[in-house]
Amino acid sequence: MQDIFEEPVSALFSYNAKTQAIMPRKMVWKGREYTFTKLGYHHTVRIGRILNHIFHVTDGTNDYRLRVNTETLEVVLEDVYHDRLTA
Amino acid sequence: MIASQHNQARPSIMHIDLNSCFATVMQQAYIHLRGKPLVVSAYSTPKGFVLSPSIEAKKLGIKLGFSNADARAVCPDVIVRTPDPELVRDVHRKFRKLFHPYSPIVEPKYIDEAVIDFKHTKYENADLTIVGEEIRLRMRREIGEWISCSIGISTNRFLAKLAAGIHKPNGLDVIDAQNVREVFSQMVLTDFPGIAKRYELRLQENGIYTPLNFLAADEKFLQKKVFRSINGNHWYMRMRGWEVDDIEFERKSYGQQYALAQKTGNVILLGRLLMKLCEKMGRRVRRAGYAARGISLALSFTNRTYLHTGHLVGYQMYTVWDFYNEAYRILHEAVTDGKIVSQMSVSCFDLVTVRAIEEQLFDQSRTKKHQVSDAVDRMNDRYGEYVVTPASMMQMDSTILDRIAFGNVREVYEGH
Repeated sequence: MQDIFEEPVSALFSYNAKTQAIMPRKMVWKGREYTFTKLGYHHTVRIGRILNHIFHVTDGTNDYRLRVNTETLEVVLEDVYHDRLTA
Repeated sequence: MIASQHNQARPSIMHIDLNSCFATVMQQAYIHLRGKPLVVSAYSTPKGFVLSPSIEAKKLGIKLGFSNADARAVCPDVIVRTPDPELVRDVHRKFRKLFHPYSPIVEPKYIDEAVIDFKHTKYENADLTIVGEEIRLRMRREIGEWISCSIGISTNRFLAKLAAGIHKPNGLDVIDAQNVREVFSQMVLTDFPGIAKRYELRLQENGIYTPLNFLAADEKFLQKKVFRSINGNHWYMRMRGWEVDDIEFERKSYGQQYALAQKTGNVILLGRLLMKLCEKMGRRVRRAGYAARGISLALSFTNRTYLHTGHLVGYQMYTVWDFYNEAYRILHEAVTDGKIVSQMSVSCFDLVTVRAIEEQLFDQSRTKKHQVSDAVDRMNDRYGEYVVTPASMMQMDSTILDRIAFGNVREVYEGH
C-alpha cells in the first residue's frame, strides 16, 4: 500500500567521490529514526526551473521516496510504500 | 543488391526492448515490489486498464489491456500502481545515453525500445551478440539491477525487432539469411510487427496463411494484389533483411486525451476539462516551436456512439485561447441534450514553425496575445506547471494527469 505524505524530514546523506553516488542513509520522521539499507533508484525532475533529486530507498521494511530541493535543500518525504495491506 | 535474395550482409542492427518497461522500472525504484505480480494501470479503479504487467504478472496470465478487475480475478493479490512518467522518462534518457558510445545512430522507437545501427562503427565487424550482452550488463550496472531487456540482431530494423520478441524476457536472438525460414516457421502472421488482424485477414484472403507463405509470395503479387501499394514491395524487402524502415517521420500533430471519471453531458464542466486539455497541448506545441492551423475534437458517448470532427481554422493557433475557442465551438455543437460524454480528446494538426508565424505577423492584436502567452509559459517554466492558468482551470490541478503517449518519445527530448 502506498501512503502519500509530502512532509519535510531531517536526513543524512553519504557521497562517494569515486563512484559519484549519493544516497540518503538516515531520516528522522515523526520523532523516529529510519536507516536506509538500499537505494532503488535516483533521478532528477525539474519543477519549474528548480532541480529536484528524487531518491527511492528502503529500510528493509518499507520503501520511501524522498525529494531534495536543490535550491532550498529541503528534504521532503513524498510517499511510503509498505505491503502490510494490499492495495 | 539482388532484392529477391535474402540480405547476406553481416547483421548490424540491434533492437533493444525493455521488458515490461513501466512495471520493471517501478520494481527497480520500489524494492518491495520486486518478484511480485504487479500491474501498472492507467487508473487504480477496477475499470482502469493495465498498461504494463510485471514479468511475474505475465507468468500468471495477466495481459496488457486487462482491466484491474480482470487482473484481480486472475490473481487476487496483484498489486496495482499508476504510472510514474518521470521515472520512466529518466530510465529512457539513461538507456539512450548508454547506447551512444556504441554508435551515432541510436533511434528510440518507443519509450521502452531503441534501435542501434552499428554500420560504419568500430563494432561493424564485431560479434554483436557479445556487444549485446555487454549492453545488457551495463544497463543492469548503470541504470538498475532489476532492469532487463530483450535484444534482437539482424540486417534490418524489422527482423531485429522480430528477433527481440523471440525469447522474452531477457532474450538475445539473431535472425539472418541462415535461420530466417526456421524462425518464420515457428511464428504466426500477427507475430510480425505491423501485421494486426486487418492485415492478417487481407493476407489470408490472398492465400497467405503463414509467415513462410508470406515469404514465398511474389513481389508483384504483394504489390498489385495484396497491398495494392508500394507497401507490398516494402514487405517483400523487409522479410529478406533489406532496410526499408530507416525513415523518421516528422511530427504532424499534437493531442491530449482524457477518460472522464465522472461522465457528464454538462457543457460547462466539459468546457473546463477541454480548457485543461488545450492548455497541456498548447504548452507542448509552443515548447516545440510550433503553431497549428487545424483542430479536431473526438468524443465518445456513453451510448457507444462516437464523434470525431476537425477542420482548418484559417489562422495559426498559438495561445491556449486559440485552441480552446476553436475546440469549444465543436464541443458546443456536438454535445446535445441527453448525450453523456465518457471520453474526450483534442488534437491540432497542420503544424507550422514559429519562425513562419513571426514572418507573417502583421496583426498587432495577435502579436500581443502571443507575447502574453509566451510570458505565461516562461512563468510556468520558472515556477512549475500551472502556476499561472486560465481562471476556468482553477482547482483542476490533478484532474488530467501526466501520461506517456504510446509510440511517442519525441516529447522526452522536446524542451527537456
